[in-house]
Amino acid sequence: MKDDNITIEDVSNVDGQMVTIDLEDLPELPLDYKDMPWKPFTPDQKENVACILDDVCVLNIPVPKNPQEEEELVNKFLEGMRKLFKTDNNWTCLPMLESSMENCVQCNSCSPACHLWEMSGKNEIYRPNYRSEIFRRIYHQYVKKEPFAKWRYGDMNLNWKTIARLGELSYRCNLCRRCAQTCAIGVDNGLIAREIRKLFSEELGIHPKELHEKGTMNQLKVGSSTGMTPGVVKDNVEFIDEDYSEITGVGITTPFDVKGADIMLLHNAGEIMAWPENIAAFSLIFQEAGLSWTLSSKSVAYDGVNYGVFYDDAQLARIALDHMKAAKELGVKKIVVGECGHAHKAITVLADRVIPYELQVPRESCYVTLRDIVLGGRLKLDPSRNNFPVTLHDPCNVVRLMGIVKPQRDILHKIAPQFREMPHNGVHNYCCGGGSGFAIMSRNNIDEWRGNISGRKKMQQISEAFKDCLGPETKKYICAPCSNCKGQIRELLEHSDLYAKNSFAYGGLVELIVNAMSNVAPGYIKWESDE
Amino acid sequence: MYTLFYILAYLAAAGFVCLAILKIRTFMKTSPLHIRWELYPIPHEGPKRAAYGGSYMEETNWWTKPRHVDHWMDLKAMGKEIFFLESTFEHNLPLWIRTYPFHMGLYMLMGGIMIVIFAAFIQVCGVSPKCGFMIFLGNIINAMVLFGSCMMAGGGIALIVRRTTDKGLHKYTTREMYCNLGAFVIFGLLSLCAWVFNPDYFTLCRRLMYNLMTGHFKALGSGWFVINMLWGFALMCWIPVTNMRHILIKYFMYHDIRWDDMATVWSNKNKDLINENLQFGVTWSAPHVTEDGKAKNWVEVATTNPADDPNASK
Repeated sequence: MKDDNITIEDVSNVDGQMVTIDLEDLPELPLDYKDMPWKPFTPDQKENVACILDDVCVLNIPVPKNPQEEEELVNKFLEGMRKLFKTDNNWTCLPMLESSMENCVQCNSCSPACHLWEMSGKNEIYRPNYRSEIFRRIYHQYVKKEPFAKWRYGDMNLNWKTIARLGELSYRCNLCRRCAQTCAIGVDNGLIAREIRKLFSEELGIHPKELHEKGTMNQLKVGSSTGMTPGVVKDNVEFIDEDYSEITGVGITTPFDVKGADIMLLHNAGEIMAWPENIAAFSLIFQEAGLSWTLSSKSVAYDGVNYGVFYDDAQLARIALDHMKAAKELGVKKIVVGECGHAHKAITVLADRVIPYELQVPRESCYVTLRDIVLGGRLKLDPSRNNFPVTLHDPCNVVRLMGIVKPQRDILHKIAPQFREMPHNGVHNYCCGGGSGFAIMSRNNIDEWRGNISGRKKMQQISEAFKDCLGPETKKYICAPCSNCKGQIRELLEHSDLYAKNSFAYGGLVELIVNAMSNVAPGYIKWESDE
Repeated sequence: MYTLFYILAYLAAAGFVCLAILKIRTFMKTSPLHIRWELYPIPHEGPKRAAYGGSYMEETNWWTKPRHVDHWMDLKAMGKEIFFLESTFEHNLPLWIRTYPFHMGLYMLMGGIMIVIFAAFIQVCGVSPKCGFMIFLGNIINAMVLFGSCMMAGGGIALIVRRTTDKGLHKYTTREMYCNLGAFVIFGLLSLCAWVFNPDYFTLCRRLMYNLMTGHFKALGSGWFVINMLWGFALMCWIPVTNMRHILIKYFMYHDIRWDDMATVWSNKNKDLINENLQFGVTWSAPHVTEDGKAKNWVEVATTNPADDPNASK
């Protein structure tokens, strides 16, 4: 279906796949960036799975086999929607949800703020308000059953296709809330997307397997969404210490379970597997700065990941509680959250009104702790080691949603002589495109969607930041101090071979600090041309 | 007949107040305490931090420090939003060009009502309606009504045209929205007619308000003005039940949600409310939440590990 003709009602009325995104419609990038052709759904998927929105399928909702199953899906959804608007089931978010449902004046000021809408060639279904408006119409017509609802708010035919597509639409949002920043009234389409996800998860038991089965359930079962048990984590960190002691020439020992330490450092455990240099860099910096600190080896507490943030309040509360309990047991003065954006928001902001105060331990961002170390002169630093262009990606969860903007910049101004901002930085940043769980999903064209659409704006920003030095001659560093963001940027660079073509390297803030430490062997950050 | 007109005026005022209170009360009662859902920049962080969107969480051991809230900055930001429609100006200029005169017209008429109430009140207190001060107020009101009604009607028409001609907006504009805008346009035009066809609009308004305050239900002597007012009475009751209620709720959407960054460490009230909230019953049906939909409270939910239940991950 052509974008111009798409209406709100189509979500209920169109058969088959509603929209396909023509790659020709996508905005061009200055970099040699390859678009990724959509893989067609298999006949089996088309028959059995509700891949009926666009070229992507996140939720894998089974196609109902008969009218009874169709009705059952609709009724369960409506039952969930009624619960969503009840204080006891949804005291966490009801005021935000209800006010966003009731007060939107449909001015569409939010659309240009959304990187998905812009980078999809302004496809109608990616307007922040498209899914919200479907949800609103269902709410007024079928849940509140308001008189003249069809006339007042617009008619919405409700069938299984509406439900399946709405569920998918809730996963065509990075939950970055950039749209909410532009709303004159305070309506939050990001919140509505998360609430729809919540309804699907908490009532219908429908969620992306990467967030639920492999994510929160795995974390609650074995201790980490990576699948690492406490023993494996300790072993892996010990290996990292050994490897990086050799690489850096400085003996590194990462402490575990030190009772009474000042700080419990909460890493995203994905770093241990994918970016061990980040773990080593933290250990090295904290050690050299003489901090009293520890990691926890208690189940769940060695992994700061909390995917409940993206889809489910119950899972959010359970994991946050486990993090707090571990810190309490160790008797630390504070939890310092490592380079993981959503972990920051989960434990610092969201948990603040979910976990009873008596069980809380104060939380601080690692950017703040690192700023104090670097500016306090607690490390021997040689900024000339970082004399290459550096730009900073702002993780939405830490910056727009927590207001931690300056500490990371203070560090960069101190240690990176060629630091330059991206356009639209700080609280006005754009999501990397992997936000809200996408960075860990990989199937049914999700990779393609991240590459073609959700990550496109970030690539545009990166190319703008380095516009004076694009090409393979100049080594450049993309500082992305967040695990999910790094995962997304890695995919974007890898796919188009931009490591070689453009001499990009990416990593966190701590790697850059260690790279500038004069008592460490030079060359902590590696470019492809170095290897 | 005159009595009915005055009764409708009382009913409209009471209706507006009651519906407005009801709406605000409903909002306030949705949750005793919601999670923090702040969005930066937050003006009460103070001019230095608000300029780049920073928060108290940028400070080392922030929880050990006293809380500073710059209320003046909140007021200033709210003022810029209300009187300049700053967000719309920054993010949707084509709409701002149309909606700004519309809103200004509305504000002038709302502000005019306040001045008229004041004028009638001092008249009740014995100030002569012919004194210099009243004439001064009259000139202000007459100017406000002329400009306000023109801006409201003009802006309203421009918004309707924009909503019908812009493809994106057209898809999202419901019949009710056209009616709402149309109702304001009609009100603006009626105000303009009443202004044009009467020698002194202010005198009519002041008389109406004076009569309402003193219970003297006398004829006002202008058909246009009566029609104008009747339409206004209907609008007063209509505003709180449509999305135009954002006039009332916007304050709370900013102060209680977007700018609510109060950490629990600084609020004993919130410490208690968290514990109360956790006693709410949960009836979500997914197996990982309540095991076959059997109600639990939030404490039980948070302290249960669904991964121990082999059915829960299904």
